[in-house]
Amino acid sequence: MKKYLSKRILSSLLAVTGLFIMVFFLARLTGDPGHLYLPIDAPLEVRKEFSEKHGFNDPIYIQFGRFVSDLANGNFGDSLRKQRPAIDVVLEAIPVTLSLAAVAMSIALFGAILIGSLAAYKPNGVFDRVSRVVSLTAASAPDFWVAITAILIFSVSLRWLPTSGIGGFPYWIMPIGILVIRPLGLLVQVVRGSMITALSSDFIKTARAKGVKEKAVIFKHGLRNGLLPVITVAGDQAAAIANGAVIVETIFGWPGIGKLMIDSILQRDFAVVQASILITAIVILSINIIIDIAYAVLDPRIRHK
Amino acid sequence: MTVKKISLAISTASILAIVGFFSPAYSASKNLTVVLSEEPDIVDPCEATRSNVGRIVKQNVSETLVEIDPKDGSIKARLATGWKQTDNLTWHFDIRKGVKFHDGEDLNAKSVVKSIKRALNPKYDCEIRTKFFGNMSVSASAIGSHTVAIKTKKPQPIMPALMGTMTIVSPNTQEAKGVRNPQGTGPYVFGTWTPGQSVSLKRFAGYWGDKPVVENVKYVFRKESAVRAAMVKTGEADIAPNIAVQDATDSKMDFSYFNSETARLRIDMSRKPLDDIRVRKAMNLAVDLDALRGTIFAKGVVKQTQIVVPSINGHNPRLKPWPYNLKEAKKLVAAAKADGVDVGKEIVMIGRLGIYPNSTEAMEAMHAMLTEAGFNLKIKMMETAGWLNFLSRPYAEDRGPTLVQGQHDNNNGDAVFSMYNKYACKGAQSTTCDSKVEAGIKAATVATGDKRRDTWQEVQRRLHQDIVPDVQMFHMVGFSRVNPRINFTPSISTNSELQVSQVKFN
Repeated sequence: MKKYLSKRILSSLLAVTGLFIMVFFLARLTGDPGHLYLPIDAPLEVRKEFSEKHGFNDPIYIQFGRFVSDLANGNFGDSLRKQRPAIDVVLEAIPVTLSLAAVAMSIALFGAILIGSLAAYKPNGVFDRVSRVVSLTAASAPDFWVAITAILIFSVSLRWLPTSGIGGFPYWIMPIGILVIRPLGLLVQVVRGSMITALSSDFIKTARAKGVKEKAVIFKHGLRNGLLPVITVAGDQAAAIANGAVIVETIFGWPGIGKLMIDSILQRDFAVVQASILITAIVILSINIIIDIAYAVLDPRIRHK
Repeated sequence: MTVKKISLAISTASILAIVGFFSPAYSASKNLTVVLSEEPDIVDPCEATRSNVGRIVKQNVSETLVEIDPKDGSIKARLATGWKQTDNLTWHFDIRKGVKFHDGEDLNAKSVVKSIKRALNPKYDCEIRTKFFGNMSVSASAIGSHTVAIKTKKPQPIMPALMGTMTIVSPNTQEAKGVRNPQGTGPYVFGTWTPGQSVSLKRFAGYWGDKPVVENVKYVFRKESAVRAAMVKTGEADIAPNIAVQDATDSKMDFSYFNSETARLRIDMSRKPLDDIRVRKAMNLAVDLDALRGTIFAKGVVKQTQIVVPSINGHNPRLKPWPYNLKEAKKLVAAAKADGVDVGKEIVMIGRLGIYPNSTEAMEAMHAMLTEAGFNLKIKMMETAGWLNFLSRPYAEDRGPTLVQGQHDNNNGDAVFSMYNKYACKGAQSTTCDSKVEAGIKAATVATGDKRRDTWQEVQRRLHQDIVPDVQMFHMVGFSRVNPRINFTPSISTNSELQVSQVKFN
């Protein structure tokens, strides 16, 4: 297991390095960001002066050399927009997104396991049919529309919840609710399908024949075998949220990494783009390693391989 | 059963407690919450000409030497009590006495000179310098304790108006741009900045002017207009200075105001067939602005005849908007075609996403109208970086004919802030080079009084009637939502600043 994890981490580091280099060159192919940082009416000479000062006029291999040298000293560069170290800007934003992602995925996963398992217990029963329709609708729901509609209903009309912002528990309800909907809908479908397969297996018949209680049959024997595909999809969904719950962050005013990345890309704030991609890549690769560990925990066959 | 009832009661009570924890109501406090569309990246007063910085800092934390009256563009005293031109290259400004900065330093000629030198230092790219002073050679010096001399290498008759952009900061301010705790003389002291969440200001007890009513101000940031509008509706915020037209649905709370922006399609006159004046005139005649107004654009927009709004010195009130006349437009196109002009050449309409509300729809509508007149067009909507490559020099040499969607803002009192860049031969966004326009711009820039105004007006006339460098669209309106407990009316300057001292409570 240790050897496997070491190999995984090493290959992940190589992937991150490759990504980092690729992002450096691709970002700079978009041209000189000078005119985004100066007023539209700034004279040409002023723009040239700006580009020279920041090295945007230099050949790309010189810019890369400078970047690598700074990186070797732990310097990601300064945000052109915010006039402070890019890594500080990114490290402020990532916990917001990670907390949203962690809470949302926990709720989605547990909810999906419960609902999907119960639906699979009696396929084509009333509960199964209702949960299938609702989960399909949820999986297809556009975040933006749901968020705005939720604000209009729960904040403006009913005055039950705040419209947006960060604060105590009420401020979390809508953002988490919006983030949960799609992964919950998707995971319910996956759990249901996986559990139907598991519950129709021979070992389940054996367990029942031995007199094992139904609750244990579903949640101990069936679920454990049905969880592997669920973990894969859940990991994928978690990575998608960790990559930036952009819509939720934008609408509810949560200063997370998704919004930061989009704004930085549009503003060609190269240092922040690179720093945020690096940190996000590390988070996603960590999620992948956690999934691998989860596989090994769930399935002894994988562990002993 | 008893256990179930108790559980239900506990759950209900919990839910009520949670939602009761948040029961927004209009506050009776003397604090103000303003919701802006974007968090400023920087709060340095030398960037106060950017609207997301200016709305927080300008005239609240850091004041300017003079102030431009949004109603008529006239210049009023602020930190300077008087000014006079002593020779054609020098202006003297008298600095108000008895004023303190928030950090206790005195406002005097020395501190003003230091502030000006900081803002104009080419090392720091302050927007005040790059936008308004560009290539201008300016030097500031103290004459006595409370008089500042500003000298330029070329005559600058509008130096007082330029000083309306010059925010003054404490002499203890760091040299480099990027100060995160600006110290000015304004009615509010900069409080805290929680990145991504809020900025707060607190009333300054030692302010030299009238004590404002608002005690504390909090700025929060929401990109989505519907959310900003909802926040004011529910009482979570008091003012949303800028909401989209489709969210301005409450006649009691919503105000429209001229926001000093002028929309146009810039015609690339250096490219065929757009170099033919009949083609340019036909384009103006083919766009039905009345059909766009009240549908794609807000009802309150006004058809424009020139790039500057009516309150700006140099605006020519005698010019009439282009009428909609498709028949005449087609005649002009046919006449040009008969003379060998390739009117069928593909013209690319370059749009910028989100430049104003419904910007894509506006381009689609005008595309249809111009196509009806006989033109061959294609729309390309772009994000800002790509759009700027078409809008500003250096232009690509191999470019084809383009119409570039644009919007220009000038609430600085004089047409000089618009005309050179837009219409001079070497203007940053100009594709026109007319000797009379060039001479007019040069003459008006150094003229004063009525001569200045008249010269600018003649330049506007020539552009509107004889050159036709744009498809002229509208002077735009913005919308603000204001909570009923607040007494505040937005004006043309709300686009770039929001003076909290002008806010009262009902």
